[in-house]
Amino acid sequence: MIRVTVNGSSHALDVMDSTTLLDLLRDRLGLTGTKECCDLGECGACTILVEGRSVNSCLVLAAEANGQSITTIEGVASDGRLNRLQDAFLEKGAVQCGFCIPGQVMAAEYLLRQNPHPSAADVKEGLCGNLCRCGAYEQIIEAVLAANQTSRESLSPSGGGQGGGR
Amino acid sequence: MHPFAYTRPATLSDVLALLDKHGGEACLLAGGTDLVVELRNRSRRPSIVIDIKQVKELAPTIGETERGLRIGATVVMADIEKDSRIRRHFPALVEAAATVGSIQIRNRATLTGNICHASPAADTAPALLVYGAEVNVASVRGTRRVTLDQFFVGPGKTVLKRGELVTSIDLPLADNRRAATFTRLTRRRGVDLATINLCCKVEAGGRTTFAYGAVGPRPFLATDDSGMLADPRASDAAKDEILRRLLTKATPISDVRGSREYRRAMLLVMSRRALRTAIDRLQDDRFPSPSTGGQDDRFPSPSGGGKGGGA
Amino acid sequence: MSDPIGASVRRGGGYDRVTGRQKYVGDLHLEDLLHVKLVHLDVARARIRSIDTTAAAAFEGVRCVLTSADLGQPAPRFGPVYEDRPILALGETKYHGQPVAAVAAETKAAAEAAAELVRVDYEELPGVFTVAAALDPASPIVQEPELRPDDPLRRTNTLRERRYGWGNVDAARADLVVENKRIIARVLKLPLASVRIIAPDSGGAFGGKQHPKYEPLVAVLAQRTGRPVRLVLTLEETFQEVRRTSCEIHARTGFNADGTIAFQDIQSNFLMGAYADIAERVIAKSNYLACGPYRVPNARIIARALLSHTTPSTAFRGFGTPQVAWAHESQMDAAARQLGLDRVEIRLRNLARKGETFVPNDTPADGNWAESVRKAAAAIGWGTPLGPGHGRGIAVAIKESATTGASYAIVRLHWDGSATVLAGTSDMGQGARTVLAQIAANELRIPVESVRVVMGDTAVVPFDLQTSASRSTVFMGQAVMRACQDIKTQLGYDSPPLGEGRVGVSSTDLTDLLQTRFGAVRGEVIGVGSMRREYLAEHPLGEMASFYEFSCTASEVAVDPETGEVALVRHVTVADVGKAINPQQVQGQDEGAAVMGLGHTLMEHLILDDRGRIKNLGALDYRIPTSKDVPLEMCSLVVENADGPGPYGAKGAGEGGLMPTAPAVASAVTEATGVVIRDLPLTPERVWQEIQRHERGRQAGSDR
Repeated sequence: MIRVTVNGSSHALDVMDSTTLLDLLRDRLGLTGTKECCDLGECGACTILVEGRSVNSCLVLAAEANGQSITTIEGVASDGRLNRLQDAFLEKGAVQCGFCIPGQVMAAEYLLRQNPHPSAADVKEGLCGNLCRCGAYEQIIEAVLAANQTSRESLSPSGGGQGGGR
Repeated sequence: MHPFAYTRPATLSDVLALLDKHGGEACLLAGGTDLVVELRNRSRRPSIVIDIKQVKELAPTIGETERGLRIGATVVMADIEKDSRIRRHFPALVEAAATVGSIQIRNRATLTGNICHASPAADTAPALLVYGAEVNVASVRGTRRVTLDQFFVGPGKTVLKRGELVTSIDLPLADNRRAATFTRLTRRRGVDLATINLCCKVEAGGRTTFAYGAVGPRPFLATDDSGMLADPRASDAAKDEILRRLLTKATPISDVRGSREYRRAMLLVMSRRALRTAIDRLQDDRFPSPSTGGQDDRFPSPSGGGKGGGA
Repeated sequence: MSDPIGASVRRGGGYDRVTGRQKYVGDLHLEDLLHVKLVHLDVARARIRSIDTTAAAAFEGVRCVLTSADLGQPAPRFGPVYEDRPILALGETKYHGQPVAAVAAETKAAAEAAAELVRVDYEELPGVFTVAAALDPASPIVQEPELRPDDPLRRTNTLRERRYGWGNVDAARADLVVENKRIIARVLKLPLASVRIIAPDSGGAFGGKQHPKYEPLVAVLAQRTGRPVRLVLTLEETFQEVRRTSCEIHARTGFNADGTIAFQDIQSNFLMGAYADIAERVIAKSNYLACGPYRVPNARIIARALLSHTTPSTAFRGFGTPQVAWAHESQMDAAARQLGLDRVEIRLRNLARKGETFVPNDTPADGNWAESVRKAAAAIGWGTPLGPGHGRGIAVAIKESATTGASYAIVRLHWDGSATVLAGTSDMGQGARTVLAQIAANELRIPVESVRVVMGDTAVVPFDLQTSASRSTVFMGQAVMRACQDIKTQLGYDSPPLGEGRVGVSSTDLTDLLQTRFGAVRGEVIGVGSMRREYLAEHPLGEMASFYEFSCTASEVAVDPETGEVALVRHVTVADVGKAINPQQVQGQDEGAAVMGLGHTLMEHLILDDRGRIKNLGALDYRIPTSKDVPLEMCSLVVENADGPGPYGAKGAGEGGLMPTAPAVASAVTEATGVVIRDLPLTPERVWQEIQRHERGRQAGSDR
């Protein structure tokens, strides 16, 4: 039996020792926003935050997360209000097919928490573990830089952009 | 994944007892960035996986000893990058750690795991080698310390015996002024495995030490005591001659990341560049203060972008 | 109300994508689901002596283990044009990774464990892995001759040879003949996201999802077990599922002293893999325009579709155009060098003018293509001084867009003034949902937010031939527009045409109109629209181009001569889109295409060992661009002359930015280094090798 807190809700789950955290989220908790793709930690589609740190959930065993707190893409927006990054991704046209986007948003969320005012080079470095086959990197980088602008204006975590200011 | 039992012991003696009991059937889990991949592709099928992250003696701390720094077995790359003492005294290790995978990987992957995995291309190995790192090993039979140079045996092979684990890595402080740099060649600018990697250290006394990865079955050291390499007055041709001699130890192979011929040629090119950087740093009083985060500094300035902080 | 056409309206479906709510096939929750695992061998071609499934079938949780022996006689085969592909390997494997069996089980773990218990007794056989081997009469025959009994080529590895041409190449006089014996566009590539096979919004497809691969297998398993069945491929398996067609093109081009083309004589050999899939169409269509967008008085094109023991190839973004563009643009550069002409100028001298027929009996040039070239040249700073080690290049490409087609749309205008568009188009990321909503909103004069586009449920949406070939804005866009016109006719509601000084009917007016019409009982107006293009019997491709996708790319690079590394300093794409209905989406598509193109230009290729096995399966050693591999500056421009057949003069977009990437970058590398490279990708090692060879040649020359 393991206990994890996912997006603020606690769960007690019986899992096989060989279950990955990615499988736990997707198959047991139905949180399919976290995507499975390369299973090697190369593509970043499964990026989540564990105890506030970004990780590839395909490389973490569910049992390792016992007692820990996890944030997935489903936990980023609150009450249907997009957070500043999600809003900026849409505003800047950074979303195409969408498959990599949850991972990109989570990696960007971690980046902005570590470095609230990144340069374009910082963003490129911070997101280079998240592949986008649509090749929307330019727009994704723009979005992260724009979200940073927004967060400077509004400190509320889910604040920016909804008022339609931009 | 083949089924296995997962356990998370709280003390080192519990870990050692488990290792002693299960031997080759046990796998140690720290960051898991290599192990979980191997479990998934079924190339490793342990009966038990021992997670060492809650072991109190193996807490993720960077401690200080009389001789230098002691990096605990569960310290991750991201922590290496941030630690001010490592940044000051072992900047090439910071540069190397910053190239290991993506940030998500560096938030999990441990320095000790990188060494124990013993990939010939492990990016932190050349830096640890030139800094004279030593490896602390424990088992139910006791503890021992080996130099990192002795530690590596071959691809995936170390001197670790059945029942042993690495508890920490020691980095001795230098007794003279020195400067080092890490560099590598990859197929793309983003996250990649090294085609070749190397570290160059120049000491105030003139001794120059290189360590190379991905060009032999294990990372290795090559030292020049003549003082010629570090001598700003020595000619390029003379330096090249010494470098070529040092590089005879390299035995690169051809694989999907590069041919033997290319690797050989790049060893000389990258060695020259690393040597220049190390000498510049030795002469620059403001150094050490390595640029962070694997900025794209391997390229002669394509007009105005990507360059990290000064140095 | 602001004009929705030409506005960067936010992506429809975007909310679900940034919140993780978008469900791809792998995300759908299905009750009682069985999981499938494929069984394959680590060989390319092998004779299967026997398969023992006993242990696998007995494994706990396994519900079905399938081999070709379970599929009846004759074993079923399928394919979009040639029905040559068996559901599982039949008698022998024909490429590395071809599944020989499949296991369906209650859990992923059980399927995986049982798949390992399937025992296959096999004998590896020599195979055909290269163009040279495919053309060698002594090589093994890939395809069973009985599959095409009446075909005189059945005992060769040529599935089909296409010949196009006009004028008389042999009689044509030229001042300069440029001949390249080995232009290999080894642009092999796989969509990273193609692990999901079918879906409402499928995720990026880029061609890989166009025709069935494993769908028949999954259907059989579902039928046998009576349960829903899901197959999620590993990324490694997607590399063994589809790829871009590789090729060798031999081009001989005659030029007059003024740089105009006298003739093109092209032989291309495309290695299509073990089964035809849609690759023969890729080869036919791309080679039909192998002379590019140029005025070529005499042309002879021979294009062979060759079978081999390699991964079946298929449609992939650009549909063969990147390969032929690599050839014709390399030739233009070679001629410019030898004639002492500027590389922009030689292209301008040869580009077909708008309205000019450049392929006899086909659609004339439908854009001002020189405008695109001038725009790209200006944006890259053509002719301005370059730093040391820097070089610039420019290239064009043209793709025959959709030929035949049929798209139907239904638009329901509800009594409150909102509308539902029913369209069979798949929004795989190109943004069709948004564009169709913009068109409906504009035609009905209602806000974009009042339009909902329903897609991907065949129980609801009318027929659409396919989402491919950059067709949706043109074909489905027209169908939606016509459905809206149908509504307006029914309502007697004649909105003023799009244009200057237009004063739109406000949505309040429309709501009044609807409420007056329907009163308290309420109702809705249903409009139907379609766009069709029929087969033209005598046309080699079945129909003329509905439009051309024309694209120009200019690039500036810096090359490190010691390591061979190429850095992209600035990259410009120009797309002739007729009308950018959503400029932000056009930019995203074009820049995305350029980044994907930089992948096959600089790093992407499948590496086979001498036994035909792929050595770099998966994400570790098949490198695609990351956020750090994009050019330091990117600039995407459009040409909008409203000269396309789509709504408001739009043409298709989305493939263009990828098509001329390789020749533009290679041309820049040549300027930076003096070295001409004919093979892709331009990896650091390849660039270094070529520089070394060039240096050795120079030294040998000066020694004498």
